[in-house]
Amino acid sequence: MSVRRRKRMRAIVPTASFADIAFLLNIFFMVTSNFIKEGHIELTQPRSPEIEPMKEGQVSVALDKNGDLWLQGKPCPVEVLEEGVKALIAELGEKTVMLKIDKDIRQEKFGPVFLALSRAGAELALIGQKAKE
Amino acid sequence: MPLAKSKSLFEPELTSFADIAFLLIVFFILTTTFITPAGNKLDIPSASADPAKSEDKQLTITLVGQDIRYGSQGERVTLDDLRRKLLGQNFRAKPPGKRIVIVNARPDVPYELYFEVVMAIHGADGVLALLEEEEKAKK
Repeated sequence: MSVRRRKRMRAIVPTASFADIAFLLNIFFMVTSNFIKEGHIELTQPRSPEIEPMKEGQVSVALDKNGDLWLQGKPCPVEVLEEGVKALIAELGEKTVMLKIDKDIRQEKFGPVFLALSRAGAELALIGQKAKE
Repeated sequence: MPLAKSKSLFEPELTSFADIAFLLIVFFILTTTFITPAGNKLDIPSASADPAKSEDKQLTITLVGQDIRYGSQGERVTLDDLRRKLLGQNFRAKPPGKRIVIVNARPDVPYELYFEVVMAIHGADGVLALLEEEEKAKK
């Protein structure tokens, strides 16, 4: 009796679409990545047990450890902050301003910033770090 | 004379493309840090409104250096005492106009203290009001 020889099946994995998938993933990452605008600003955030994680806003104001003021990662004198924030609110249609201030900055420096933002009609989001209760 | 067939069909090697693309993905995955900011949104009454007009009716917290002084009597309190006193005010049961807390910070107050006091007010459902000391001094 003749034994039928099984035909050896060669497993072929189609790899042509791998490149497409990989490039689509790359495009997704590139489009959705939000690069940090304020990486160059040196400040230590204050801590509080009352704060919660929140959604990142589009407008950001920072007062660094040297007392320098930054609007959207660019230097901005306090005298023009109100106008600058008003323009950004009108342009972006978002009232929330992410306010980051170094923990050691004194009221004489941060007080005028609060007032300017309040006058600009901004909704302040004070950014800090969660402290253990 | 028979013409020689040219075998110049160009077939690019695509297999390495996938490797490059996956390497890029691995790079993005490893270098991406997801930043979730933490903080609180504040409802600050317009700075043009003068909270000092109704100062006698509103709760005032005065900050001097590292000291917290509570109420019109200026009672010295710690941050924990302040949290307890603010929760005792039961702001949640009050109408928005009665929830206002005026924070009067002197020029030497560090932001760290101011931030903790403001967060304590927010945590107790109070509404922060800014006092325009500068403006008054100018006048």
